Amino acid sequence: MNREIFALSLRQLLGRRRTFALIALALLPLLVALVFRMGDTDTDPVDWTANGLLAGLIVYVLLPLVTLVLSTTSLGMEIEDGTIVYLLSKPLSRAQVIIAKLVASWLPAGALVSLSAASSAAIALPESEPSLILAFAIAGCLGALAYSAVFLLLSLLTSRALVFGLVYVFIWEGLVTGIFSGTRALSIREYTLGVADLLTAARQFDARLDGVTALVLMVVVTIAFVALAIRRLNRFETRSLF
Amino acid sequence: MTDDLKKPPAAAQTIEPVIRLDSTSRWFGNLVAVSDISFSVDPGITGLLGPNGAGKSTVLQMIAGFLRPSSGSVLVRGRSSWRNDKLYRYTGLVPEREAVYPFLTGYQFVLLNARLHKLPNAAEATARAVRTVGLEDAQHRATGGYSKGMKQRVKLAAALVHDPLLLLLDEPFNGVDPAQRLHMMGVLRELAAEGRTILFSSHILEEVERLADNVLVIVSGRLAASGDFRRIRRLMTDRPHTFVIRSSDNRRLAAALIEAPSVKGVELIDGGLSVRASDFGAFALAVPPVARDAGVTLYEFVPADQSLESVFSYLVNR
Amino acid sequence: MSLSTEPEGSVYDLGYRSYEGVRLGRAHAILSLYWVSFRGIFGLGRHTSSKILPFGLAILALVPAVLQLVGVAAAETVDFELISPDDYYEFVQWPLALFVAAVAPELVGRDQRNHTLPLYFSRPLLRDDYVFAKMAALSTALLVMALVPQAVIFTGNAMAVSDPTDYLRDNWRDVFPIVASGAMLSLFWSGIALAIGSQTDRWPLASGGIVAYFAVSWILASLLVNSTDSELFRYSLLISGFHVVRAFTLWTFDVTPTPVRPGEDNSLTGDLALADVSLYVYALAAAVTVAIALFIVHLRYRRMAL
Repeated sequence: MNREIFALSLRQLLGRRRTFALIALALLPLLVALVFRMGDTDTDPVDWTANGLLAGLIVYVLLPLVTLVLSTTSLGMEIEDGTIVYLLSKPLSRAQVIIAKLVASWLPAGALVSLSAASSAAIALPESEPSLILAFAIAGCLGALAYSAVFLLLSLLTSRALVFGLVYVFIWEGLVTGIFSGTRALSIREYTLGVADLLTAARQFDARLDGVTALVLMVVVTIAFVALAIRRLNRFETRSLF
Repeated sequence: MTDDLKKPPAAAQTIEPVIRLDSTSRWFGNLVAVSDISFSVDPGITGLLGPNGAGKSTVLQMIAGFLRPSSGSVLVRGRSSWRNDKLYRYTGLVPEREAVYPFLTGYQFVLLNARLHKLPNAAEATARAVRTVGLEDAQHRATGGYSKGMKQRVKLAAALVHDPLLLLLDEPFNGVDPAQRLHMMGVLRELAAEGRTILFSSHILEEVERLADNVLVIVSGRLAASGDFRRIRRLMTDRPHTFVIRSSDNRRLAAALIEAPSVKGVELIDGGLSVRASDFGAFALAVPPVARDAGVTLYEFVPADQSLESVFSYLVNR
Repeated sequence: MSLSTEPEGSVYDLGYRSYEGVRLGRAHAILSLYWVSFRGIFGLGRHTSSKILPFGLAILALVPAVLQLVGVAAAETVDFELISPDDYYEFVQWPLALFVAAVAPELVGRDQRNHTLPLYFSRPLLRDDYVFAKMAALSTALLVMALVPQAVIFTGNAMAVSDPTDYLRDNWRDVFPIVASGAMLSLFWSGIALAIGSQTDRWPLASGGIVAYFAVSWILASLLVNSTDSELFRYSLLISGFHVVRAFTLWTFDVTPTPVRPGEDNSLTGDLALADVSLYVYALAAAVTVAIALFIVHLRYRRMAL
């Protein structure tokens, strides 16, 4: 990975407005957890945390949105502005460029998601359930990597990567895999939930993929998409003006 | 055509021209951007001249390895420019897009490029490049606040930082004020004098006329002419040349000249005679005896349309 | 140079001519902008790639309708209801939400990025007229997306029965709620989408922001309602685009959600039942939200330096 490109990308991505918006988004689960804790209800906290907070708010909404914004911007903005020329017109392998961009968008996303998951769960649970918290923190981090790889490739293929990414997350992963359960194997959300399932004994959330399968698929998908992105960047042509 | 050029001080190491295009075409779906272009570029300054949309940028992007030719070949130093990472070791690019990383200072931007080139003495090379383009005063300001001219200069510095043999510039003087343009031209001339190859594109005749030793005229995706523009002019024998003559008796000279076979037309203008001649060589030889026989003294004999403008408009309107 | 009547020839003045004809007024300008914007939303008159998303999502929105028709044909009875008209909007809420998230930012962002706004405002078009035209275009586009599938189901059902007028007589009462809910959905979501989309010229980011609004408000509100008995959080569903539309739909169809215990029913209707807030309050909330959203858009364009 090229260190200069990595540092450059981090600076590019974490501009004031964007960082502010992302942090605000990541703080929401904490607020909700606080509200839950202070209210009184006979809902089982572990059930609520695992299902509603972690599997729901964090994995369903926060994880894809944060990774989507960061990873489609990292290459997408460079291509749109034309500054990618400066990265490609160097005696650098395109693989190095891709990996640097990937890590630069994954690290903040993974950090935000896992911290948000861990702290909000810690707030909501009266007794500490380390395995649940850790499971989702780690799964969230890995899910961020998989999503980042996919969205990075998407941003190389189209300038409307973010919108297509949204359609993938909320229609494909949201609706389609809900209706046609066979497509579970093609949903990063299911991988994430499966990995979480693998790491904790808590059974309150619904992971429809077996843990090991989920982990394997996640790794395969990540590597495959990174390879595709490298291949695509190797054949990068300035987009036609028409 | 390229033997018109004076040989650069440091003789080229290879017999191969630095850049060579061979029957190169590029199309985007139904639209043909570049159609069957062949030319070669040697050290010195070469200008790619053409109206907007003629295909100059497409040609430059192919040479720079950012577009793959649909057919034909694009060779830089004997190797194809497509998917050729090593090309960038000796090539510097100044792209047309204005954007640079607005949060970086000029110095940081050039340094970034130096480091990406893996230069052993990046800081030193950066300082040198910044000095060359004359940006020392502004180098620690964020490029987001630079004027257009300053952005062009910082892009040039970034392209020069690794001491490239080949420099490709896409519309480098667009929107740059005259003073900075002059300065940049001076920089480019010095670089060319050191034996480098510089290829730049422009749709502004004056720039190409002033800077380029050699011109490649591209119109509607095709190569309309190449070489020294004065030579090009002379080669277009089917278009009459125009000369302005001042003499002691213009009317008498006019009457005498119209009899010469190489003269196509004569017109009395303010202060002289405007003569259209079809064959430059024959006409040049014919005028002195005609004038002597008519008893007229010649004061001035000037080709009126040798400028690149007339060449260009002729080629474009063909 | 002027017209000459010399016998040798005439010189004609081909200079600038002023236009003395009819000038269509402000209303026409607004109408034209509306029509151009509406067409642009569906990518008509543009490159094929800009048609993919709107038409793709439109097809998705039609899928349940088609399934319903197929079901009716197969079961040979109109009593087959895979999806009832009042449930329909909930089925297609994501395609519709994504539709508005995909098209709204580009609708108002393109003019900002390309700096074409001065061209608009140097015509007899006021800034608020611009906002009005864009809002009208977006909401009618969304209305088409929402109502066409419903119309397909309705007419399909009517045709399946041996006597269509019979079906009409039995079900004409449904028409008003269907149209009213569709209209409310269009206005409400368009207002919010425009408020978010008009803030920036980098429109992919705004798309993400709009989806973030729908997704976050939905889950947030649902969690809050389900997690606590507090009086205050009963009203949290008012912020959620999906819940408010569902509530309005139920209200127009005069359906009261059946009471549930917490955690028993995680659907929108379940949340609404849990919150136990009178449905007309949601209608009010929607109206207020649209007003605020449009005000935000108005402010944005009023303050915008061209």
